[in-house]
Amino acid sequence: MNDPRQISAQTEKALDSNDIKIRARDVQVYYGDNHAIKDVDVDILDKTVTAFIGPSGCGKSTFLRCINRMNDTIDIARIEGEILLDGQDIYDPSIDPVQLRAKVGMVFQKPNPFPKSIYDNIAYGPRIHGLARNRAELDEIVEKSLRRGAIWDEVKDRLDAPGTSLSGGQQQRLCIARAVATEPEVLLMDEPCSALDPIATAQVEELIDELRARYSVVIVTHSMQQAARVSQRTAFFHLGNLVEYGLTSDIFTNPRDSRTESYITGRIG
Amino acid sequence: MLGTTFVVILALSAGWYFLLRRRAMAAAGPRLADLHSRPSYHGFYAALGSFLAGTAVLLVVGIGWGLWNDMQLQNQIGQALPESSAIERQLVLSDAKAVADGALPSRSGELRSAVAERHATLETARQWGTAALALAAALAFGLLAWRRSDRDFRARNRTERMVTIVLWATAAIAVLTTLGIVLSLIFETANFFSNIGWRIDKFLFGTTWSPLSGVQSGQMNPDKVGAVPLFAGTFLITLIAMIVAVPIGLMAAIYLADFASPRTRSVVKPMLEILAGIPTVVYGFFAAITVAPFIRQSGEALGISVASESALAAGVVMGIMIIPFISSLSDDVINAVPQSLRDGSYGLGATKAETIRQVVLPSALPGIVSAVLLGVSRAVGETMIVVMAAGQGANLTLNPLEAVTTVTVQIVMLITGDTEASTAAGPAFTLGFTLFCITLLMNIIALRIVRRYRELYD
Repeated sequence: MNDPRQISAQTEKALDSNDIKIRARDVQVYYGDNHAIKDVDVDILDKTVTAFIGPSGCGKSTFLRCINRMNDTIDIARIEGEILLDGQDIYDPSIDPVQLRAKVGMVFQKPNPFPKSIYDNIAYGPRIHGLARNRAELDEIVEKSLRRGAIWDEVKDRLDAPGTSLSGGQQQRLCIARAVATEPEVLLMDEPCSALDPIATAQVEELIDELRARYSVVIVTHSMQQAARVSQRTAFFHLGNLVEYGLTSDIFTNPRDSRTESYITGRIG
Repeated sequence: MLGTTFVVILALSAGWYFLLRRRAMAAAGPRLADLHSRPSYHGFYAALGSFLAGTAVLLVVGIGWGLWNDMQLQNQIGQALPESSAIERQLVLSDAKAVADGALPSRSGELRSAVAERHATLETARQWGTAALALAAALAFGLLAWRRSDRDFRARNRTERMVTIVLWATAAIAVLTTLGIVLSLIFETANFFSNIGWRIDKFLFGTTWSPLSGVQSGQMNPDKVGAVPLFAGTFLITLIAMIVAVPIGLMAAIYLADFASPRTRSVVKPMLEILAGIPTVVYGFFAAITVAPFIRQSGEALGISVASESALAAGVVMGIMIIPFISSLSDDVINAVPQSLRDGSYGLGATKAETIRQVVLPSALPGIVSAVLLGVSRAVGETMIVVMAAGQGANLTLNPLEAVTTVTVQIVMLITGDTEASTAAGPAFTLGFTLFCITLLMNIIALRIVRRYRELYD
């Protein structure tokens, strides 16, 4: 059985030429007495889609939530180890999680538009962070974000309609546009398509591929086909361990670890 | 006599239960599962049916026969005293009944004795007759069930239908009672308005409230039934109460829902709700004996003259009374805002304060508004606190340091005062009806808002 640290050391060598956005070392997460994440080391690249796969309860969502410190809102969660964003430890006491989350956006499993208008949903982040000096600039940000969310054409005539009036797929693209509006550097997506039908899923996947041009995207997914379709790198989690991490094509065609192989061939999970 | 009959009917139905259950078991033969309905359903069918039949006959025949008897007695009195008024005849009748029951009549006489004698005869017949009919009905239903009960008898379906009818009837009682109260309010209100010559405008817009001043002449003075001071007083006190209750209640709710640890919450929330369990009469004397003098002394210290009964004292205490309604309901709606919305906001880099102000509160606003409106309904209808602490004089003022009176206080004064209830009832019912309309309107608005709120989420 391979030592996960050894694997990541190998992958790190292979990735030297690339720009490392997030570097995690020896990350442990505890929920009360439950040791949910064990010794996770991973390097996430800029302008790349990284997929986290693994069976339910393997810790992939938990680890994702560590990257923008969303676990801070859970009282019993405790995190050890270090996670560096551009070389800066995000768990350093000098880092304000609120500012961190403006840089590391997040899209959730279930579309969660605010019960406000489409415009106000997008403008929410920019207003909070003071990204626009006046209404015209705000209008511009809203339009740009909706275009990046690939939903502008569908909603441009009804920006005053409530965000909740959109269909599920549109709501999820609205949430992606909302996350993009704060100009993040990393976009975390926690099973963004699990509540969507196949057509909406295809649209969101296409959007994720476009987002790669600007952001480092990390996506948690239950669908191995989706991971294979949208990601360049894949990390396989099992029982809180990062079992294998590497190029998506390698993971799916030539897994090194027997557990990875069992999972992608459907024998566990 | 009829009470005993009722007990006998109860015993009879219990008896039918056991008889029918045994009969069903016997009818089943060797395999109990061959029965269409469980034996207890057979028993329950007979028991419930005979109880309902007996009780229904007891009530309907008992009351009907009583009315019939009264009519006959009225006829007898009418023949003896052809010139008398309806009230006189009623008096003779109630005297005669008193004689027959061995109580003291207001007057005695030959006619009364004769009527009393007749009454005694009729009453005996009524009691025995009703009892016999009711028992016969209860017995007959049981026998019917006995005859029909066999292996294929659908006792379960019939019992269920019977229970449905009973449930429907209990719901109908609640609805009919409400309807009856509303109708009596409307009737008395119309009565009062006709008494002041249909000058509804004088009631709604007049500023002098002294409705009983012209009662000796048998006619109410339309110029003295202006309810504006009362509604102004109610409005003023409600406003003060809401100024106290809304900020405190709402902020307490925000604290409970978003800041308090589960342990604090589990202690604080029940404590807050204890406030709702204090009887309003206790709040009332708290307001009158503790708060009002305190406000008066504070006012004196500042050189402001404060009436010993002030709208402020009543309003503040009423506000304290309403806090738990607002905090508890708001806490529920704030908690009902999905965690995913909060996560969405935190995920965009919003602080806790921004998230609460811009996402949680707007989402919960409809629920909060309906909680506030519910609090307003309570404040408008509240009586004990204002009776003790707000005063009785119908002052038209918006100064919270003066004594004002409210709609509810005036209703209490009218009904408990020296004037005969039937005379005072007119203005009291009219005030009550107006108050009812206001509260109803507010409840409808609150319900509407809540419904819209539900649609918003899904």
